[in-house]
Amino acid sequence: MTYKLGLLIDEKRYEAIKNLPFAGQLKSMFGGEIRMLEIEIDDETAKKILQAFPAARVDARGYLEDLPVAFKRAVFEAIVKTGSVGREALEEVFKNIEAIKELAKKEKEYVPPP
Amino acid sequence: MFFANLYMPVIEPHGGRLVYNVLEGDAAKSYWELSTRLEIKPTQGPDGAPIRNPYREVMSIGYGFFSPLEGFMPWNEVESVLKERRLLSGWLFPFPIVFDVTEEELKTAGAKVGDDLLLTLKGRPFAVLKIEEVYKLPDRREFADAVFGTPDRNGEVVKKRFDEKHPGWLIYRSMKPLAVAGKVAVVNPPRFREPYIRFWVPPAASRKLIEAKGWKIVVAHQTRNVPHIGHEMLMKRAMFVAGGDRPGDGVLVNAIIGAKRPGDYVDEAILEGHEALNTAGYFHHNRHMVTMTLWDMRYGNPLESLLHGIIRQNMGATHHMFGRDHAATGDYYDSYATQHLWTRGLPSYGINAPPHQLDKGLKIRPVNMGEFAYCPKCGEYTYLGISFGEVKESPLCGHTPERVSGSFLRGVIIEGLRPPRVVMRPEVYEAIVKWWRVYGYPFVTEKYLRLKEDTLEVEL
Repeated sequence: MTYKLGLLIDEKRYEAIKNLPFAGQLKSMFGGEIRMLEIEIDDETAKKILQAFPAARVDARGYLEDLPVAFKRAVFEAIVKTGSVGREALEEVFKNIEAIKELAKKEKEYVPPP
Repeated sequence: MFFANLYMPVIEPHGGRLVYNVLEGDAAKSYWELSTRLEIKPTQGPDGAPIRNPYREVMSIGYGFFSPLEGFMPWNEVESVLKERRLLSGWLFPFPIVFDVTEEELKTAGAKVGDDLLLTLKGRPFAVLKIEEVYKLPDRREFADAVFGTPDRNGEVVKKRFDEKHPGWLIYRSMKPLAVAGKVAVVNPPRFREPYIRFWVPPAASRKLIEAKGWKIVVAHQTRNVPHIGHEMLMKRAMFVAGGDRPGDGVLVNAIIGAKRPGDYVDEAILEGHEALNTAGYFHHNRHMVTMTLWDMRYGNPLESLLHGIIRQNMGATHHMFGRDHAATGDYYDSYATQHLWTRGLPSYGINAPPHQLDKGLKIRPVNMGEFAYCPKCGEYTYLGISFGEVKESPLCGHTPERVSGSFLRGVIIEGLRPPRVVMRPEVYEAIVKWWRVYGYPFVTEKYLRLKEDTLEVEL
């Protein structure tokens, strides 16, 4: 089974990926107010992610949700670095998973309000 | 006049009588000096975080939310609930309500069968439990499985075996080894803190309010969430379905307040988010009422919907709207397990017909709804329908509507982005941000749970 991870793309993020091949696949949402990059996640990787982040879960649509902001940021950075939305990007993220988990722990208690 | 006769006001309480086990004045104070006393302590998860406080169950029993239940269940009643979801009196009830203790706690209290046990909360007299039985709970893992079901035994709705990630299963799994059964009465009615005090409308008061408003068709909306516009559509459209030949009169929003899973919104934002819908005029204040029930959610989807039906019938609602993934978390249950219960029953749980069609069942009627989604082409919300049995989801419009997932929305919020106006009312978002500033986080965290356990919703 495959799952999905949705990365929200604002203007700043869009600038970083606009020349990559998948930039044309961004999904416009809710009349264009938000865009999303959908990444397919295989079963094994999904399990690793859920294990790393206890609050994370799979929603009714099969999306991995309630993931730490630090993890999502790392995924985006890995996508930019590898130029891919495939397995290699997630492997890049898991090289630093312990550091990301540490960041996520702090984030569990405080995220500055807008 | 015709309608007034047809739609009789004030549905009867579940079990026929509204429980009100709340004592005040001298009658109450006579219990305060009892030497047999026991401090109510929270149930803790594996990491020590509070995941339930039985004081909420005492309040919900005492003030009649769980009518006709009058106390914590003896073992044969627990067995009856597990076998066919019925109290010993025969009335439907979904969950064992158990006051669990350790042997040491019981010994220290010096409590035995026949005693009046004073339950204290934060060291202050709170309630009295008339001990009818003390019994040993079975293996808690098996107990939790029996409460929620397993794919083998309850394959019609259970898709995946329950585990520690399911907050309701974890509550039963984490219970102490002994249980004390007996009727309870609140003997020191607590004062609610802000903002809870504005939403505390127990069944007797709720019924009076509904009567004063002249509502005859009252649609209950269960919530553990701040409302996005998909929820608003469900509430508004359910009003048209509920009456059958005329729209309903009002929506009774009832938020479940208590320990929740990390990642849910904080309770204060849930209440004020819903309140914002009527203060900002998206609902007329005469057609919309926001209330709360104290209960540590079990996330039991169809079983939880049965409890919700009981609570809201007791509060005076005539109909209950049920949407997709009702009171669910994860993918343990089928997304439309609740609709399964309310259209076919759940024979594997001993419920052989829909709850409102059974003897000693519920009087409240279901309004089974599918999902609404935003269609950018139509520029409005469209109904998606339900995928259930032979019926397949089929949008009303011919475009590609976009679902509003609560978890997606949480992702937008935590990343510091303002939700699109077609997804969330700005006033609702402001309620989230208000409490984010208080707690440093918009959602439930372990820190929030510990803080909530320290302060609770009440003062004595």
